[in-house]
Amino acid sequence: MNILIVEDEALLALELESELQAAGHAVIGQAMSSEEAKVLADHQALDFAFVDIQLLDGPSGIEVGYHLREKGVPYVFMTGNLKRIPEDFAGALGAIEKPYTMNGLEHALAFIERFVEGERRGAFPPSLVPAPWLKMAH
Amino acid sequence: MTVSDRSIKDAEEAGERLLAEHRSDDPFAAAFKATRMPMIITDPRQADNPIIFSNAAFSTLTGYAREELIGRNCRLLQGPQTDKAVVAQIRAAVEDERSLAVDVLNYRKDGTPFWNALFLSPVRSQAGDVIYFFASQLDFTRMKERQSELAAARSLAEEEVARRTKDLRDALEAKTLLVHEVDHRVKNNLLTIASILKLQARLTRDDTVRRTLHSVLGRVEALSTVQRKLFTTADVEHFDGADFARDLATDMIGAVRRDDIELTFNLSPVLIPAAKASPLAFILHELVADAVRRGLGDGGGKLHLCVERLNGQFHIEMRDTAVARDAGGEEQDFSRMILETCARQVGATITREINGSETVVDVLLPVDSHGEGKTS
Repeated sequence: MNILIVEDEALLALELESELQAAGHAVIGQAMSSEEAKVLADHQALDFAFVDIQLLDGPSGIEVGYHLREKGVPYVFMTGNLKRIPEDFAGALGAIEKPYTMNGLEHALAFIERFVEGERRGAFPPSLVPAPWLKMAH
Repeated sequence: MTVSDRSIKDAEEAGERLLAEHRSDDPFAAAFKATRMPMIITDPRQADNPIIFSNAAFSTLTGYAREELIGRNCRLLQGPQTDKAVVAQIRAAVEDERSLAVDVLNYRKDGTPFWNALFLSPVRSQAGDVIYFFASQLDFTRMKERQSELAAARSLAEEEVARRTKDLRDALEAKTLLVHEVDHRVKNNLLTIASILKLQARLTRDDTVRRTLHSVLGRVEALSTVQRKLFTTADVEHFDGADFARDLATDMIGAVRRDDIELTFNLSPVLIPAAKASPLAFILHELVADAVRRGLGDGGGKLHLCVERLNGQFHIEMRDTAVARDAGGEEQDFSRMILETCARQVGATITREINGSETVVDVLLPVDSHGEGKTS
């Protein structure tokens, strides 16, 4: 998958990138602000995105989420505060709660890979809080 | 003689007739004249229902001399702030020939207003016809003022309460925001530490280094898992120990990546003070990690975790079918040191029993009996 990482903590983004690359994916962009994220989303062909809510310019990850939904790019939020997520999850598949564990991330990633390939079966991994719409569809 | 003069004359005559009906020593007439209660009598059979009699108290109240009152309608007491609806009520009572008690704002001759508790009542002849209206007045301006002073004081007090409530609410909101901000930083720091460990573990070519980094990572992740459980509800001082135990064991066993480990739970919610989160996270981590090292990681098996409240204590029971062998080595020693130190910190007792192929570990952790209350 071609993946966008939206995260303002550079070390977290770097580690996530290594993890994704190790799983055979290409990280084609890293954004630290909502502006950067939207520009990348507009100019790159994306298969998936990981979006932190708290960015350099504030809690603007939600806005990035809505932008990705408009572009038809599936994504998950990565946040330490699940309460920040709007009721409709801004179109996100779900959320990976920070601080996630390595195992938690790997299981969430395996679910995401299956989802992007069109697979709609299989249980949600405990590390992924599914959006209400996804739960309904499942 | 003008019309007005004529009507005054009529009113005077009516008054005289009324007086003539009473002897000068009539106690009722004397009382009427002498009482401190302002009173008047009007004659509804004359045009415009004029005053035909008024007492001295009425003159004292209104500032009008008797001569100025006789022949006039009571509306001379009305002024700019007099309520039109009340005036209409009075007029209706007169027309309907019934009694009325009503509060009305009236004006003295000098223009000063006063609150008048007016009582109005028709006086009937033996034949039943209304021949007079009797009206008494009571100046209750002071009472009215006190009422409005009270109302003003009440509204001031209410404003003050509202202001202080808002202050408190703002302070609480600021505190909540602060807790969440600190929580956010702690979470990011934990994840950053974990990221550094993972990055280095990925880079190193030395297996021992990688194993050591992963062993540290495991403990950092145990802290991460418990941190996710904190501040999730309104009760920021406690978290559910059972919920945490399930997440931690599920994640750790999931990380082993074996299909032949059967993980089962028997959980009931137990509130644990947030201050005990870290040592508890380590205790559980070391116990599960030990079972994995002893054999679950190599040969699979069963792991059952029971979390409950037992005699006012937090009770964890872990049963596993890992081969009961001492894995030995540095990691084992280090793990035991962490386990014992954390147990000592929270006053937990840990017992281990081996029944055939099953290892049973019991952890008893005292929690404050006051509703699993405050941290000590």
